[in-house]
Order: sequence, then C-alpha cells, then structure tokens
Amino acid sequence: MNLPLPTAAPSPAPEAPHPRAGEQLSGADIVVQILVDEGCEVLFGYSGGAILPVYDAIFRHNAQHLRADGSEPMPLIVPANEQGAGFMAAGLARASGKVGVAVVTSGPGATNLVTPIRDAMADSVPMLAICGQVPTSALGSDAFQEAPVANIMASCAKHVFLVTEAEQLEATLRTAFEIARSGRPGPVVVDIPKNVQNAMLRFDGACRLPIPGYRARLRATAQAQLGDDACARFFTALAQARRPLIYAGGGVIAAGASTALHEFATTFGIPVTTTLMGLGGFDTTHPLALHMLGMHGTAYANYAVEDCDFLIALGARFDDRVAGVPARFAPRAQFIAQIDIDAAEVSKVKAVDWHHVGPLRGALERLLRHGRARGAHPDFSDWHAHLAALKRDHALDFDRDSVLIQPQAVIEAINRHTRGRAIISTGVGQHQMWAAQYFDFRAPRHWLTSGSMGTMGFGLPAAIGAQFARPDALVIDIDGDGSIRMNLGELETVTSYGLPLKIVVLNNVGDGMVRQWQKLFFDGRFSATDRSLRRKDFVMAAQADGFGWVRRLERKDELEAVIGEFLAHPGAAFLEVMIDPDAGVYPMVGPGKSYAQMITGPFIAERNESAIASAQTADMF
Amino acid sequence: MKHTLFILLQNESGALLRVAGLFAARHCNIDTLTVATTHDPAISQLTLVMHGSAALLEQVVRQTRKLVDVLDVNTLSLVGDEQRPMALASSA
Repeated sequence: MNLPLPTAAPSPAPEAPHPRAGEQLSGADIVVQILVDEGCEVLFGYSGGAILPVYDAIFRHNAQHLRADGSEPMPLIVPANEQGAGFMAAGLARASGKVGVAVVTSGPGATNLVTPIRDAMADSVPMLAICGQVPTSALGSDAFQEAPVANIMASCAKHVFLVTEAEQLEATLRTAFEIARSGRPGPVVVDIPKNVQNAMLRFDGACRLPIPGYRARLRATAQAQLGDDACARFFTALAQARRPLIYAGGGVIAAGASTALHEFATTFGIPVTTTLMGLGGFDTTHPLALHMLGMHGTAYANYAVEDCDFLIALGARFDDRVAGVPARFAPRAQFIAQIDIDAAEVSKVKAVDWHHVGPLRGALERLLRHGRARGAHPDFSDWHAHLAALKRDHALDFDRDSVLIQPQAVIEAINRHTRGRAIISTGVGQHQMWAAQYFDFRAPRHWLTSGSMGTMGFGLPAAIGAQFARPDALVIDIDGDGSIRMNLGELETVTSYGLPLKIVVLNNVGDGMVRQWQKLFFDGRFSATDRSLRRKDFVMAAQADGFGWVRRLERKDELEAVIGEFLAHPGAAFLEVMIDPDAGVYPMVGPGKSYAQMITGPFIAERNESAIASAQTADMF
Repeated sequence: MKHTLFILLQNESGALLRVAGLFAARHCNIDTLTVATTHDPAISQLTLVMHGSAALLEQVVRQTRKLVDVLDVNTLSLVGDEQRPMALASSA
C-alpha cells in the first residue's frame, strides 16, 4: 500500500541547463532568480526585519538590470498596509491570469496577509506570498515579530511551506509556483526564516520538490477525457430537453474557456447565465446572455433557472448566493450536468445526473466535436422566444424620475463610455452588485471582485494591481464609502506610482447592503451602519494624496458631463457621487429563499406574488 | 455511522496540522487519530476515526485528497453496531 517516494525530484523536460546552474547564491538571491524565471514582473510588499535579505536582493537585481528606458525589471510596489499588497497581487492575478506575488516580513507583515490569502483561496486566484520568518534557531521562542505563519495560513491557503532546510529553498519556491497555478488555482505561502535567506547555496536551476500525490492526481485530472459514451449521454439528454440553460462560474475564466464556451453555446443555441465570478466568461451583450443569476441576479436569469429543464453547470459550485435552497434550485430541471476541475465540487451541494472532472476548455471542445460530428442541431426557438420576452418584461430598472442621483444611473453613464471594455474592480456591498448588474462585460478578466469572501476594501488595491498588469487599460475602481475606508491608505499608493486609475465612490453615508437587510429583516433598526456623523471629506483626502482630478457630484443634471470629464482625465481621477441613500439592490432572493420567492422591488416587474410579506429573520446569512 | 480513514501522507512539517485542520474547518469531528511513520521514513500513516453521514465522509475524503502532502486515502465504514476492536501494529 505504501507508495515509493522518489528520492530525487522528477526532472523537468530536457532543456538547456539554467544559465546560472552551479553558481553559489544566497537564499535571497535564489528567491529573486526564481521570481525572474517564473515570469514575475512586479512585486508587492512592505519591508521589515525578517525579510531584509530578500528586499536587498530585489534592490540589487533591479539596479543591475535596469531597462533601456531606465525602468526596473521587477519593481517592488509598496502599499500602506500588507493587506493592500495582498490584494494588489490578487488584482494582478485576476486581471492577467498570472501568479500574483506579495513579499512581506514576519509576524504582523504575514498576519496582515491572512485576509487576502483567504480571499484568493475562496475565489481560486493564483498567488504566492513570500513571508520572512525569524531565524530557525528562534522558531517557537516567541521571538520579536514571530507568528506561527505556517499554522495560521494552513487553514487559509492552498498550501504552505515553512523552509527550515536552506537546501530545500529553491525546489520549494519553484514547486510553490507550480501548485499556485495548477489544477484549481489558489494561493501558496512560503515562510522563509532569515538565516535561510542568508545561507550560501548551490543553485540548481531546475529542481522541484517531490509531491507525488498532488502531481499524480493532477495528471489524472488533466488527462481525463470525455469518452464517447459520456458525450452520447449528454447529447441524448440535450435532445430531450426543450429549455436548456448554461450556468457558468468563475471556472470558465480560470480555465481560459470563454472562447470554447462561446462556441459551445452558440453552436447549440443554449442560453448562458453566469455567476458573479463568471461575469466576462460569456459576453453579456450576446443575445444568448442572461447576465448574472443568484441573490441579486437579473430577474430574467433567475426566472430562466426556474423554467429550465436541463441545467449545465460549468466551473460553478452552486454556492449559497446562487442556490440558497439547493433542493428548490432549478426545480424543473430533469437533468443537471456539471463539469469542474475539482472533484470535491461535484454533487457537493446539489446532486447532478452527469458530470466530468477535468479541464473545462478541453471538455467543452470535446463535447462540441462530438455534437457537430453527429449533427446535433436542437431547435430551442420557443425557449429563445420565451427568454426574449422575460428579458423584455423583467429588465433591470430603477427610479429614473427621482431628483436624487441613483447609483445605477452612475454605472450606466460610465458604461456608455466603456462599453464593457474597461477593467472594473469593486469593494463589497450594494455598489458591487449595482456594478455587476449594470455594466456590460464582454471579455474575461475585466471584472475583479471579492466574490466568495466578500472582503470590503478589496477594490482599491485590486485596481492598483490590475493597472500594473495592464498598464494601458482603463481601470476603474467602483467603490462604496464603507469599503474604500477599509484600505483608504492605498489612495496614496495610486499617486506615488503615477497610476492613471479612476476611482468612483458611490457614497450613501453608510453600509448600504447591511442597511438593506436591516430594513427588510430587522424592522429598520440601523445598528452600526449609519455614517452620517463621520467627518471624512473624501475630496480633500484625494487631493491630499495628490489626485490631479477630484470632484464631488451632488446634482443629477451634471452626471453625464462629469462622468465624461472624469473618464477623459489622463491621470489619476477621483469621483465621489452622493447617491440616494435609500437606493436598494433589486432583484433580491432573500436568504433561505428560493427563486420563486424573489423580490423584484418597486421598479422591476415581477412574475409571481412576492414573498416579501413573509420575510422572516432567517438563520441564513 | 463510524468511518475509519487510512491516510498516507508525506512526512512534511505541518502535514498533520493540515489534515486535522481540514477536518476542524469542515465541521467534522475526529473521534480518534493515530499517526506513525511507515517503513519509509518519508511517509506517515495516519489512521482516523470519525462519525457522520456517508455524504459527509465522501466530501471530507474528497477535500483530504486535495491536500498537497496527501498520497492516498482509503476508507472503511462500519454499519450499526458491528464495530470491532481494531489493533494497529507497526512493523518497522
């Protein structure tokens, strides 16, 4: 039963040896060399005692390899707080698909990364966190700035390494990148004691750690092919379906499968709704697109879920913001199919009738070939007509006649300029949902949001990271007054590095989403969610941090002109919009409710009697 | 229902913590747990007894298989009162 453990690391494909193979390098220099080898072009981090050797090695590397234009090949971007560095790395990773790297010191430096690491785990974002640690001789002694990082992060990350043997450092770092980006991506933490950073070591150039269990499972999953029988069963079910629906999640984007999804959906005429994480995985302006489903999904997407008879879940996991009541989710679906890279997600929440565990792109291409070869040409025109009517009759809408500025109108005005081509990041709350609902998303990696963890304060640092990933792209942080406060120190980071970031704060003087729940479920007792006594002047704050264009918008009739001016500004711009504090996010499927009980609110036509009267304080959250 | 899990894992620092932590985080109580190195000092054998539904077992086993250090997971489920005393012997 015991598996033999390879004594030597598996050698990679035969290539020319690393140009520096055999050199004596310090641990810190090896860290930098691996970062270079893995294609890392920017680092995010805050210095401190236990990471000093690595910071020095980065400084020397940049000084010795200046580009022709005088820029550094691997700049180290310094945030106001390590949490900012973590979200910047995550923003870069989400916008580019590359592994985002944060480098921090021991103790508080590392613990400030806990939230971004957990956030990246929850949304399957590839990240590497390199943490300094006290010397191995001091480990466990309650030393200055010592924290049990491997213990703490073990519960949060995809994997954690504490490098106690200096000889293992090189193989560990290379393997950490491999783990972060392979399979279902996620964050990996490497904790490096200071003496390991200072150790003189022979650089190998190719070694990796033996992780035979992980690699064997990865290989099995990567090579899993959809057989003819499985394809045939899928198409037999599709042939019997009259109302099929694709429910696409963040896995479509992580797998680089959006083109395959487009081909698949358009070839067979299957409509697509995406999760919050899946936005951009399918062009929301396409006639087959139903935009987002779920707690704050479009009414027509949620009605489509109610009506569909065949549901195809692609890289989606039936989480509670989508399937609050799993038993009543897609209640008319005779057949549910699921494709995911993670076997643990199959039937975790809702039992499925057909599944495949493997890379999504290959699976969709395989199904496409099979269906085409057998001339599958289902006719779903009645279903398309039904959905077109739903989209017409239950379109998103809001109070267009109010004298107050409606947040949805702000998003619509920005969208008229950006047309689904800007990179949008958000904080968490009402503004996040309005942005998800009212923006068009035409391509993957244009929507950066903390989906599963729901971390307020994500938007600003994530936008900074995205701007480093895509220096020429228009990057806009749509934020709330509560969320932006959480990492407000990063305003200064924007101007320190001359980033042309655009920041919009939809200010409703409080925690709007929580207020919405308090209104619905706690008789309007606004416990700790009102900010009207706060004295913060966001305009002065942005000016103080050097923003070249700063404006507070309070009049509705100025909206269009101000948005145009804001987006046209070539440098960093900050726009605060005082919005209707009572604006709500609708539709809303209450916690513990089914889609049939969706509240569409005062401005969206509803199909059934709403269950708002019976809304009770639920244990659901 | 009682389930016994036989988990082979690489003898890395923190490997036991990761397995135990996963069970705690997934709200799955461990009744008993023993760990010992195998004849290969790089590999540990972890034997764990838990109780819960078959669905809980399946989910926690699938999650355990995602841990990087884990080499293999096998399970034995005993229905009703058929549980018998079990002896674990190490033949080093």
